[in-house]
Formats: sequence, C-alpha cells, structure tokens
Amino acid sequence: MVLAFPALLGLLVFNYYPIIQSLLYSFFDLDFTTDWLNAPFIGFQNYATVMASDQFWYTFLFTTGFTVVAVTLDISLGMLFALSTFYVPKGMRGLLRAFIIVPWAIPKVIQASMWRWMLNSDVGPIGDILVRIGLVEEPPLFLAERVLAMGSIVAAYTWKGASIAAFFLMGGLALIPGEVRESAIVDGAGPLRRFFSISLPIVMPTVFVALLYRSQDALRVFDVVYGLTGGGPGTSTDTLSSFAYNAYFRFAQFGRASTYAVVTFILVGAVGTFYISRVRRNFSFRD
Amino acid sequence: MNKKQRAIRHKILSVLIVTVIGVWCLAPLAWIFITSVKPMGTEYRIPVEYWPSEPTLDNYRTVLGERFTIQRSILNSAIVSTGSVIGTLTMATLSAYAIARLKFRYRIHTLYAMQIAGMIPPIVVIAPTFVMMRALGLLRTYWAMILPNMVYALPLSSFLIASYFANVPFELEDAAKIDGAGTLKTIFRIVLPIAAPGIFSAGVLAFLGSWGEFMLANTVSIGSPAVETVPVAIQSLSRAFNLQWSWVAAGTMVTIMPIIIAVLVFQRVVVTGLSAGGVK
Repeated sequence: MVLAFPALLGLLVFNYYPIIQSLLYSFFDLDFTTDWLNAPFIGFQNYATVMASDQFWYTFLFTTGFTVVAVTLDISLGMLFALSTFYVPKGMRGLLRAFIIVPWAIPKVIQASMWRWMLNSDVGPIGDILVRIGLVEEPPLFLAERVLAMGSIVAAYTWKGASIAAFFLMGGLALIPGEVRESAIVDGAGPLRRFFSISLPIVMPTVFVALLYRSQDALRVFDVVYGLTGGGPGTSTDTLSSFAYNAYFRFAQFGRASTYAVVTFILVGAVGTFYISRVRRNFSFRD
Repeated sequence: MNKKQRAIRHKILSVLIVTVIGVWCLAPLAWIFITSVKPMGTEYRIPVEYWPSEPTLDNYRTVLGERFTIQRSILNSAIVSTGSVIGTLTMATLSAYAIARLKFRYRIHTLYAMQIAGMIPPIVVIAPTFVMMRALGLLRTYWAMILPNMVYALPLSSFLIASYFANVPFELEDAAKIDGAGTLKTIFRIVLPIAAPGIFSAGVLAFLGSWGEFMLANTVSIGSPAVETVPVAIQSLSRAFNLQWSWVAAGTMVTIMPIIIAVLVFQRVVVTGLSAGGVK
C-alpha cells in the first residue's frame, strides 16, 4: 500500500483534482478569471447556453463523425498493414515494420505541420500530382474549403493512427496458430475466405480493443487539428478539444470552455467503460 | 499455376506491397527533406520541383544559427523527457510491485484508479493544471512539464511493469525473505533484474510520450524559447516563418531525425511495449 502511495498521490494531483476543478468551473460564470470562489455560481447555465448554441452541436457532430470515419480507416488500414507484414517473405518483414513505425515516432503536432506543407494548395505535392495526372484542373484548396479541410484532418490523423492500429493487430494476428492457416490452405480456401472465416474471428477481440482504444484517442483529438487547420476555415473543423482550448486560452471563457471539456470527458468515459469491462480479466495478477 | 510461378507472383506482390506502404509512411518525411535542401525561396516556385536543381545545406546552417533556438528546444525536450521518465519509472515500479506482488485491500481499486486516469482527455485537466502551475510560480519552468508528464505516463508504465513482475516466480522472493532480506532489498536484488526488460520498455514509451506532448508544453511555456520543447518550437516556427518553409523543413528534420533513429534502434522494445499495453 505504501509502495503505491507516490503514484496515487500523483494521479490525485494531476488527474483527479483537475477533473473536479474543471467540473466546478463549468458551474460558475468565469470570464477572464479562474477565481471561482469569488465568481457568481450559475448552476447549469453554462450548459444551457452551450446546448442552445448551434456551434456546440456542430462541433459535437464533427467530433463524433470524425471519430467514426477516422477510426474505421485506422483499423482497416492497420489491418491491411498488419496482414502485409505476415504476407511478405521474412527478408522484407523487418523493412516493412520499420516503414510502419516511422509515422508513430513523429510528434503529432509536427506531423500536422508536415501535412500542412504536403497539402499546400500552391506548391504542395498532393495537389500538384492530382493536377498532373489530370484528375483536377487546379490544385484543390485542401485546408480552406470546409469539406476538404475535414478530409485533410482525417488523412493526417490516419497517417499515424493506421500505424498504431497495425502494431496492435500484429500482436493479435501473431496468436493465430500456423497449423490452422495451413489446413485451410490445404482445404482450398482462398485468401479472402481465409481472412474472413479464420483470421478475423480469432483476432476479433483484439480488433474490438483496438477499436475502443482508437475511439478514445479520436474523441479527444487536439494536436492534429490545432497544427493543421487551427479549426478553420472559421471554426468548421474545430473538435470539442480544440474549441475548448481556444475558449480557455484565447478568449479566457473558463466556465464555457469547461462545459466542452466535461462533454469530451463524458464521451471518452462512455467508451472507456466498455474498455475497462473488456480488459478487466487482465487485472487479476495475484489471486 | 505451378509452384515456381506462384513463388514469383508472391515475390512481385510483396515488393509492391512494401513499396506502397513505404510511400504512404515516408512521403511526408521525404517531402520535408526535399524542401529542407532547396535554396531558400525556391520552395515556392511553380511548377513544383521534386528535386532542387541546386541542393544546399544552407537552411540547416540558418536554423542552427543564432537567430533560431532549435538546439535549445532539443535540449529542453531532453531535460523534460529525462526528468519525467525518472519520476515515472520510480513511481511506476513501486506501484507495479504492490499491484502484482502484494496482497492489500485496495489493490483492485488502485488498478482502476490508474486505468481510468489513463483515459482522461488532456483538455479536461489542462486549465486547472495551468492555474496550479501559475499559483506555484512554475510557469515557464521545466517543472511545469516534468511533474504532470511524470503522472501522465504512469498508467501504461505501471501496467507494463506489473505484467513483468507477475512472471517472477514467488519462490525466488520467498527464498530471499527467508535469507533475511527486507521488502525493498528483495525488490532491488531479485525482482527488478528479472523485470528489467519491462521497465526499459516502459521507460522508452514514457520518454516518447513526453517528447511528443504538445498541449501542456504549449500552455505552460507561454512563448518562452528558454523552456520550449521540440513540438512547441516547431509549431511556432511553422506559424511564424510561414514564408520560409525551407527553414521550417530543416528545423523539422533536425528535431525529428534523432527520435526516428532512436525508435528504429529500439523498435523491438517499443513494439513489445505497445502490444503488451494495448492488446491486454
């Protein structure tokens, strides 16, 4: 018990205390101050104001929509990557895994600025290549048009997300016994058939955990948005986190911002409940 | 189709797959590199140049020169990450031992407290943490980043180390106790050496976590180059010098290459850690 004390104290100071504090902020009228003890208590009025604003619902829908799309892509691409590492001959496996791990090593916000340069509408290679192969007449305004900007965020996010998902799924795929696969080949099952009726059912638990884990990450996405579009054009690509960050530190509306933060927490927490119930069996260390 | 044909087809397909995935994973990095060796100003030339006619290292000289604080940001990141890792590993090892080896009443609650903490979105804790650091007078100091990062890495580290501890045979420990060694001595002499790979991989992951952390670093450094970490420095560079992307690119290369190389070197450790922490 004493041994766990330093860690628990740390969690209390930097995780649990701030959560309660944020919750408190959200019940007070706090503009340009965080001194909630001397600020007017307004109950649920921040929530009422926020819930009545179109901006909130737009941001809420964008964040959840982004999560669905990005996580689906993360897992699908990650699965393709993971399967590839098992498909290629041993000699290429190391190289392939090295490629896949590179996006993972780059800090998210730097990754966002790299993509901002890739997607530059004047001299970015992606727009240029699209023009050269004749798909479009002029380079698309990837970061200035609403729908394209949303797509850009998904692409930049998935660049790293697919790698993370791939390493997750490799762990799961490695558990499939070689004999199972071989006997399926002998029975004449094609690669697609083999994947859907043999591999997928076996790795399904891993896929499920990866899905929950990536969803939590996507729901609280901040760095990629902040670095790539800054929420723009306007606030159309703001997520709950990036909108709240600006409300906190640019507009100093601590009460209002906290309601966004609390909503983010509730969303992530809801997914987290599934996650914990799923991984609980691994909690039994000494029984 | 005979066996030989099939082998050839397998090989061609494999090369194709490796190429496609390679391009996807390396393209942004390659583009940053190409931009970094373009003479300043030519990165905005139309039509787009895929390789400069006169490659140069001038941009590197510029960003490593006196006008910029790139080296400083690398040093800052190294200090913050090292400090955080030392703190994390100390706390995580102790708590992991308690979780995996001891029977105490609130063991399962401790585990839950850790796992729940691992899910907390940074945005929920950022404002109160900022206020706390301001009250303590720690804004624009390394401590404002080290202390919270120490804790942010705890859930994953503790879990990882605990799963290694769980594999140490109890008999070994009991033998040490019979020989008269105390709890701490048993930990240091018997359990730690066996769990060393787990601790190492937790350390690498914790290091990378705080190296890449942006929201907190950005908030508590408030534009002070003296404490800005790499992600904050590159982000503000890319915003401030919007017109000289060849500089931003050179700065990005200088700051991310060491970490990419480190990750490739420690690949096995990182992957083991990732899958142990995740798949479980």
